[in-house]
Order: sequence, then C-alpha cells, then structure tokens
Amino acid sequence: MKQYLILCRSVTSAQRCAKLLEGALIRASVVKAPRGLSSSGCAYALQLHNKFDEAIGILKRHDMPVGKCFIREYSGEYREVKT
Amino acid sequence: MIYLDSAATSFQKPPQVFRAYNETVRNAASPGRGAYRPAMLAAEAMFHAREEAAAFFHFPDSERIVLTMNATHALNLAIHSLAQKGKRVLISGFEHNSVLRPLVASGMEIVTVGRKLFDPEGLLQELRSSLNDASLAVFTHVSNVFGYILPIEEIASLCCSRGVPLIVDASQSAGILELDSRSLGADYIAMPGHKSLLGVPGSGLLLCGGDTVPLLFGGSGSDSLDRQMPAYLPDRLEAGTQNAPAAAALAAGIRYIHSRGRQEIEKHERELCRHMASLLRDRDDLELFLGPESMQTGVLSVRSRRFDCDELAARLAADGICVRSGLHCSPLAHESAGTIETGTLRMSFSPFNTHAEIERAAAKLIKFI
Repeated sequence: MKQYLILCRSVTSAQRCAKLLEGALIRASVVKAPRGLSSSGCAYALQLHNKFDEAIGILKRHDMPVGKCFIREYSGEYREVKT
Repeated sequence: MIYLDSAATSFQKPPQVFRAYNETVRNAASPGRGAYRPAMLAAEAMFHAREEAAAFFHFPDSERIVLTMNATHALNLAIHSLAQKGKRVLISGFEHNSVLRPLVASGMEIVTVGRKLFDPEGLLQELRSSLNDASLAVFTHVSNVFGYILPIEEIASLCCSRGVPLIVDASQSAGILELDSRSLGADYIAMPGHKSLLGVPGSGLLLCGGDTVPLLFGGSGSDSLDRQMPAYLPDRLEAGTQNAPAAAALAAGIRYIHSRGRQEIEKHERELCRHMASLLRDRDDLELFLGPESMQTGVLSVRSRRFDCDELAARLAADGICVRSGLHCSPLAHESAGTIETGTLRMSFSPFNTHAEIERAAAKLIKFI
C-alpha cells in the first residue's frame, strides 16, 4: 500500500488539514514526521494512503500551509514528491 | 447554598463539563508532544476547543485562537503585542485591573473616555474626539461591576474607521451576549473560559486578528531547532505544556451553551437581574445600580446606606448566599460610578439560578439591612 506524508508546521495545522480532508471523504492521520524529513526539528505530518493529488488540491484551494510531501518507497525510504 | 457570583467564575457547570475534564485528566497526556494515543487525545482536546470557539464566535481561522490560562493572560498577551511606550491608549472608565495594570506596566499614556454609568452616547462622543491621537484602544464589552453593556460595535467601528487597533475584553459577555468576531473586526478579543463559557478555572481564549509578540518562551512541540518561538499561531503564544483537560471542559461548556441557546441564557440572566431589582427597589436603605434593560446583563450592584458591603456579604455568606463585595478588581469602575469609598455588593446570575433562589436571597438581604 502506498504511503504519503504531507508535512505540516504544527499539530494544530495538521489537525485542521485532516478535518478538511475528512469533509471530502479523504482519510488522513496525524502523525509525527520522521526527524530526517523535517529541517526545522519536531514536526507533524498528514499520512494518507490514496487520493494524494486530490488532497493536495483541496489543501491548496483552502490556503492551508502545506510543507514538503513524501512518498514511502518499498525500501522504506522516503522520496520527495513535487506538488 | 445560593451562588450569585458568576461574574467572578461560574460555580455550577453542566455535567458534561465535569465529564470532559475527568476523561481528559485520566486519558490524555501532553498535546503536541507525540503521536501516541494519549498525546493525540490531548491534542484533540485542544483542537476541539479551538474549533468550538471559532464556530461560536464566527472566527474564520481556528489556528489563530490561542488557549490561555484565563482572560488576564489573554489580555496581557494582546496588550504586550500592541503596546508602544509613550504612545496614547484609550480605555473606558469601566476597565478591570487586568486591562489597567498591564497598560500601566507598558508605559503607555492612558486616556479614559466614558466615565458615566449607563451613558453609551457620552462614551462615543468622547471617543470620537480622542481617537486622532491614539495608537491603541482597549475596551471592555461589559462592566464586571455594574453589568453595563458598552456600545462595543460602535466603538469597534469608530476605531476601525480611524485605523486604531482595538482589543476587546469580553470577560463578562462571552457566552451571554452576541459576539460576532467578523462584524466586530477587533484586532484581539480576550475572554475567560471559566465564567459564562462554563469551563473550568485555568482556561481562557485569545482570538488573534493581528500580529503577536510572545510573553512566554519555551517548548512548543514544533520547529525545535529554531531558538525563537515559531512565527505562526497558536504555537507562537503557547509555550510549555498546555492545559488539555481545561480545553476539553471549555469545549463541552461551549457545546452546552449552543444546545441550550445563548439567547435563552441571556434572557434568563437578565430576567433574574430584573427580578432581584424589583424585590429590592422599594428599600430606601439600599441604593441599586440599575440601568435601562437593554444596557445591563445579569449583574446587579447595590450598596446599603447603613451597612458596609463586606459586612453584608459576610452575613449573607454565613447563611449560604455567595455574593461578591468590595471593588471587584475594578477600582476605575468604582471611581467612575462614585462608589470607590464604599465598594458595592455585587450579585451576578447564571443559567442555573432560579427565581426561587432570587427570592430567598433578596429576603435574606432585606432581613440583614
């Protein structure tokens, strides 16, 4: 199963994004971002398994502050996804 | 016991407030400090409180709602963010020490307008002629001593038209009067969670429309590599472990008000106030501070012509009636109303008081005077 991570600036921001996506029937979990993905220290992220492009579109349309996005490879490593 | 001191803090709460508080104390850890279940439960409590408040006050961005310890904390944050030493700030003659003291500490030049009780027109007239030289305005929505409703929409409109930033102290109105942040357009609105929003002590809210300057520095669970506080809200103003149980209780309190109806609560409290006034009105030995019905919330101050207010309050307390006496942390309001030498005996009503309680309390007060 694919796994996407969308970095968020704070837990509150991640929660708002998750709520927004929930309204569009896109399930996203709030998780701690792996340390290696965040250049600013502790951070939260949205984790989702599908509808990534749709989710990004919704968040951007609502001016949500979205950080870098990643997809987890089968090797377990994260690769940045340009949006 | 009859509790008539809800302007200080609401004592009776809906059962769902206690339930929310207890469940969060038992099950939640620290918000924003992990993604394990107890940490996320705490983060959810904080998030729901922001979302409930945003919906209730028609505030467009819940991330700009900061959870504080109380209204004093919220007002200090707002004043610290906007105060400029030596510049002029306008306040009403009915401000609490939670406004006055931080402004004095800021070194601003304080100019007071509208010192006459129940005279909104006079206040607006003075405000119009004072705004040109002002760089900040801080106004309470309702006097905590007299229940006097200040014309806050008109004050906000005047400040906005002259480009003067406005901080609103909604300590005595949030949860009772209509408070639409969109139409008000204030830079900051500060309020407690433990009064008419029916939360528990240790909770308050700051609705931030403007830029913010932190008062407290420390961990926020975000941007940990940065030696400065985060640039964004709410993390910027929420350093240290936050009070998630109080946030859960606050959210439950707001939901209760929503389900019972804010207007119904407002009407009930005003009726209780008028009922008490009608029972005390004919007493020559009592002075009532009663304004026009449209200008007063469920707060009634009185004073005896013969007895000290504190003595009367002590007598009532001995009979199980809880009222507040003295200056109510608002010496400015008492100076304005001419009651600084005596203070007043203040009765403030809640959604849970009954007309039978009002009659019993009035009978006791009449007996003592």
